[in-house]
Amino acid sequence: MGPTKTDTAMAPFDPNELKDTVAGNVRDPYPVMAELRRQSPVHVGPVDLGTGPEEHYGDVPPVTVFGFDECVQVLRDNETFSSTIYESVVGGVMGRTILQMDEPEHRVQRALVAPAFRSKILERWEDDLVRAVVDELIDRFAAQGHADLVRELTFNFPVQVIARILGLPRTDYPRFQRWAIAITSVAANWDRGVAASEALRDYFAEVLADRRRHPDDDLISELAAVEVDGQHLTDEEIFSFLRLLLPAGVETTYRASGNLLFGLLTNPDQLGAVEEDRSLLSQAFEESVRWEPPVTVILRRTTRDTTLADVPIPAGADVALLLGAANRDERKYEKPDEFDMFRAVRQHVGFGFGVHVCLGMHLARMETRVALNTIFDRLADLRLDPAPGQDVHVHGLAFRSPISLPVAFSAR
Amino acid sequence: MSNGIEIHIDTEACMGSGNCVYWAPGSFDLADEGHAVPLDPSATEEGRLWVAVEGCPVGAISLWRDGRPLVKEG
Repeated sequence: MGPTKTDTAMAPFDPNELKDTVAGNVRDPYPVMAELRRQSPVHVGPVDLGTGPEEHYGDVPPVTVFGFDECVQVLRDNETFSSTIYESVVGGVMGRTILQMDEPEHRVQRALVAPAFRSKILERWEDDLVRAVVDELIDRFAAQGHADLVRELTFNFPVQVIARILGLPRTDYPRFQRWAIAITSVAANWDRGVAASEALRDYFAEVLADRRRHPDDDLISELAAVEVDGQHLTDEEIFSFLRLLLPAGVETTYRASGNLLFGLLTNPDQLGAVEEDRSLLSQAFEESVRWEPPVTVILRRTTRDTTLADVPIPAGADVALLLGAANRDERKYEKPDEFDMFRAVRQHVGFGFGVHVCLGMHLARMETRVALNTIFDRLADLRLDPAPGQDVHVHGLAFRSPISLPVAFSAR
Repeated sequence: MSNGIEIHIDTEACMGSGNCVYWAPGSFDLADEGHAVPLDPSATEEGRLWVAVEGCPVGAISLWRDGRPLVKEG
């Protein structure tokens, strides 16, 4: 299937497509979570986070963890708290990925893909690639003096960055973006997600065969060539990993960059400070990932009877770790509900923790830093500019980010 | 000026997340084999070294002084 006429423009993205079914139609779940955490950092049995009592199947009651130390304890004990639960959650769409593996298999597989995501390796993509993508997107609206940064920037830039890192031809970006939307919204439309997953496999099979013949400076060539202790990645492992990059590398950065912009735009003093001193961008981003992590929940399943915060948990229990709640644990952070980039830097679990900690965190940090730097270089006097009655806010339960970010500015 | 701190890394536990390098770049680096190695402990102020310790996803970093492991205050 070659590019069609409609493919010449990027597929229009409607953030509402990912809003209710996928993300959860919730405006602010944190007060309820704080109340439940004060009752106990660990709850056994269905909880109501504001969308009605949790659905539950099977004999073993689900467990929900609201506390910071308790989340860290679970994520560091990957023998008791297994990642195999992700087989049923995403295995059907992604194929078998490091997300669902336990040790020692996980360590071996992750070591094969990890070198490509080290910050020193990523540096080469900063200017020619990430900055170029963001510059191009800003070119389209800079002259207007106003824009919706979600529709016109934050969704589009991570998908184009990943497409370029994979070395895909530009004519393929539109369908790549459509597959990205379909695969990230698979919970809303299962058949479309599975179809996109199969299409991506066929597509990547062609690209991979080509890179095996003609290696280039891109991630797919790198994955094809990688070898650690005599171990290689099979084609099927490469396809699964590349598919995982869409929700893991596109949706998360889209949401995280929106949350950072929202935090800064609603705190103009901090926006001004970071615009003035760009070296503050790193801590501003870490604070936004603490305050509004794009993925607010990760799952584990117990392999044996255990206790957590003195609460007994049986083997075979599904454990939901509420990262967003943990990041606002008042036992760990003062005034946890405030976005404050000047707070003393502390560890957070917005990228997860333990051996499965986000593989792409350095890419996300670099992409967001470069994007914000480019925005500040191009758009002066940046400020929120909602239409009358428009309610700009961060939305969602399992995934959270602003649905729109209407801004006004003067182009530099 | 030395701050008298020694950085210990449990290379068996280290998964090479690179978080320590992110938080304290003068005091940590990643070896080609993928695990972290300590550089100059005094290149980073002590508070930031503790962020690197706490921020290690697998708890592989400890700080020592005078042959004894340090415990973070506060």
